[in-house]
Amino acid sequence: MNRLRKKLDHLISIKEKALVAYLVAGDPDLDSTLDLMHLFVKSGVDIIEVGVPFTDPIAEGPIIQKAHDRALKNNISLPNIIKLVEDFRKVDDSTPIILMGYLNTFSFHKELIDKSDQHGVDAVLVVDIPGELSISSYGISNPNIDSISLISPTTSQERIEKIAKNGSGFIYYVTLRGVTGSSNLDVEEINSNIKKIRSYSDIPTLAGFGIKSNEDARLLSEYSDGIIVGSSIVDMITKQSESRNFDRIGEYLRGLKNAIL
Amino acid sequence: MKIDKQKFPDTDGFFGEYGGKFVPETLMYALEELEDTYSKLKDSEDFKKEFYADLSDFVGRPSPLYYADRLTKHYKSGKIWLKREDLNHTGAHKINNTVGQILLAKYMGKKRIIAETGAGQHGVATATVAARLGLECHIYMGAEDVKRQSLNVYRIKLLGAHVHAVDSGTATLKDALNEALRDWVTNVDDTYYIIGSVTGPHPYPMIVRDFNSVVGFELIDQSKALFGRMPDAIIACVGGGSNAMGAFYPFIDKKETRLIGVEAGGNGVSTGEHAAPLNDGSPGVLHGARSYLMQDEVGQVKDTKSVSAGLDYPGVGPEHSWLKDIGRAEYVAINDQEALDAFHTVTKLEGIMPALETAHAFAYLDHLPKDFDESTNIIVNVSGRGDKDINTVAEIDGIKF
Ligand SMILES: Cc1ncc(COP(=O)(O)O)c(C=O)c1O
Repeated sequence: MNRLRKKLDHLISIKEKALVAYLVAGDPDLDSTLDLMHLFVKSGVDIIEVGVPFTDPIAEGPIIQKAHDRALKNNISLPNIIKLVEDFRKVDDSTPIILMGYLNTFSFHKELIDKSDQHGVDAVLVVDIPGELSISSYGISNPNIDSISLISPTTSQERIEKIAKNGSGFIYYVTLRGVTGSSNLDVEEINSNIKKIRSYSDIPTLAGFGIKSNEDARLLSEYSDGIIVGSSIVDMITKQSESRNFDRIGEYLRGLKNAIL
Repeated sequence: MKIDKQKFPDTDGFFGEYGGKFVPETLMYALEELEDTYSKLKDSEDFKKEFYADLSDFVGRPSPLYYADRLTKHYKSGKIWLKREDLNHTGAHKINNTVGQILLAKYMGKKRIIAETGAGQHGVATATVAARLGLECHIYMGAEDVKRQSLNVYRIKLLGAHVHAVDSGTATLKDALNEALRDWVTNVDDTYYIIGSVTGPHPYPMIVRDFNSVVGFELIDQSKALFGRMPDAIIACVGGGSNAMGAFYPFIDKKETRLIGVEAGGNGVSTGEHAAPLNDGSPGVLHGARSYLMQDEVGQVKDTKSVSAGLDYPGVGPEHSWLKDIGRAEYVAINDQEALDAFHTVTKLEGIMPALETAHAFAYLDHLPKDFDESTNIIVNVSGRGDKDINTVAEIDGIKF
C-alpha cells in the first residue's frame, strides 16, 4: 500500500478530513519549495500536491499560471522535481506526494514517471487526460503510482460512473466551472454530485478549486473526505517571494486544518 | 495503399495516432454535446441548405479558380492557377468555417460566442457572423498580435465584439487559444467556442475541415471544367492547417494530385526560430490534441517565430500530422524573407496582394519539383488577401505613414 492510500485510510478511520495543499515546484526556487513542503506538513497538511510547470497550463487561473512561468524561468522540469521529492523523503517518509501537471511533460518523461515511486512519488494527476482513462493509457503503468481522476460539475452521469469505477487513490471533485482560483462555489450542486460519485466508488472523494477561506473549507469538508487548496497558497508564496518569509502560510494552513476538524 | 478518408477521425477523434480529446474534465461534456449536435445536423437537408445558402449569398462562393498568366510565365514550371479565397467576404477562407459553426451555435441555443485569433482574420470572420445573429462575442488575441494586426483589431471592434489582449506566455496565437479555453471552461453552459483552425480537441479538427472542404470540392469541379483533369499539385500554407486541409481533404484519395503544405520557416528551419512543427517538431499534446509540436528537450512548448501572425503557432492540426506520416502530403517550410519577396512578386505580377500567410504558399513556386513542366497544373490556395498586412510590410520596408 502506498503512502497515499495509507494516509487516506488512516484519516477515514479516525474520522478526520484530509487537507491537501498545492504549490508549484521551483516557485520561487527549489530550495524554497522544499522548505515550504516541510512547513506544510508541520502546519497540518496531510497530502502535498506538487505542480509540474508547463508552458500552457490551460486549467489554471492567472495566479498559478504566473507561478508556472516563474518556475519555468528557473528551468524546472520533471527530472529536477524528482530530485526535489528525493530530498523531501530524506526527512519525511510518510507524507504522500502527488505530482500534478499536463500530459505533454508527463508523457515526455514516461520512463522517469513510471519508476518515480522509487524516488518517493505516490500519485500523479494529469489535468488534461479524459477522466475515464488513466496514465496507463499513456505508457505509465506502475501499480504503486495512483492516477487521480477529476470529475467536474458538468460530467455526465454516465461518465461519473466510468470515472469513479476507474479511479485510483481518490476522486478529485472539481467544485466549480472555471480555472483554478475562481470563486463561485455552488454547495447544493457539490453535495449532490459527490453523493453520486460515492454511489459508484469506494475510494475517497476530495473537493478542490475555489477554496479560499476557512468557511469554504469547513463547508466543503462536510460533504467530502477532504479539501484541496491551491491558488490562495500560491498567491501567498508569490507575495513572499522576495522575503522568503513564509510564516503566514503556516498560520493560514493551521486555520484551514482546524476548520475541517 | 488505399486510404479511406471517410474513416478519419475514428470514434475517439484520432487520425492514426494523432488527435483525441485532451482537455480538462469540465469541457468533456461540451465536446460531447458538440459532437452529438454535429453528427445529427451535418447530413440534415435543412442544415445543408442553410449552410450552402450562406456560403453562396453571404460569403460569395464559389470562389474562382483563376489562371495566373504572368506568374506562369515568370516561374516557367507549370500552369499556375489561383483558388481565390481572398475574394470571400471578410477576405479569407476563415469565413467558411465561422458561417458553419455559428449555425451549430444557433441550433445549440448558445448565447455567447468566443474565439481565438492570430492574424485577426478568424476574429473578424467570427465577429462578422456573431454580429449577423446578434450574439455577444469575445475574441482572444495575443498582445503581440494586437500590435501587428491593429487594422483587424479595429474591424473586430467595429463589428461589436470585445477584443481581449492576452499577455501571458509568448503573447501570440498559442496563448490566445489557452485563454479562450479558460473562458470556455468558466462559461461552458452558455458559450460556444468557434475554433479557427483544424486544431484543438475532437470534434473540432473534423468540423473545421468539413466546413472548409467546400474549397476542395469546388476545385474538383473547376479543375475538370478548366483543364479537363485533376490538378498535379495543390499548394497551401499551413498554420493550424485549415485552408490547407479544406483544399486537401477531397483529394486525399486522388493520388495523381500532390498535396504540398507550406509552413512558416521564420529565420530558417535550421536556426530553430520558426513555426514549422511538421518540418522540425515531434509528437506532443497541446490544446487538446496530439500532433506534431515544437517542444524542447524537457517537453515544454517552444517559442515560435514568423513574420506572419496567422502561421505563428507551435502546433498543427492532427490530420496533417497523419497525412505527413503516411506520406500522403508533403510539408515544406518557407522563411520570412522568401515570403516577403513573394508578397511583392505576386502583387506586382498579378495585381493580387496576398496575405503574408498566403505569401508562404506562393514562395514555394520558387522551389517547385524539377519534374514539373508546361503541362503541369499547379493550384495555389490563396487563403486570404493582404490588406491586413500592409502595416507590417511597410514597417519592414522602412516606410512610415
Ligand atoms: C489568410 C490566412 N491564411 C492562412 C492562415 C493560417 O491558418 P490555417 O493554417 O488554419 O489556414 C490564416 C490565419 O490567420 C490566415 O489569416
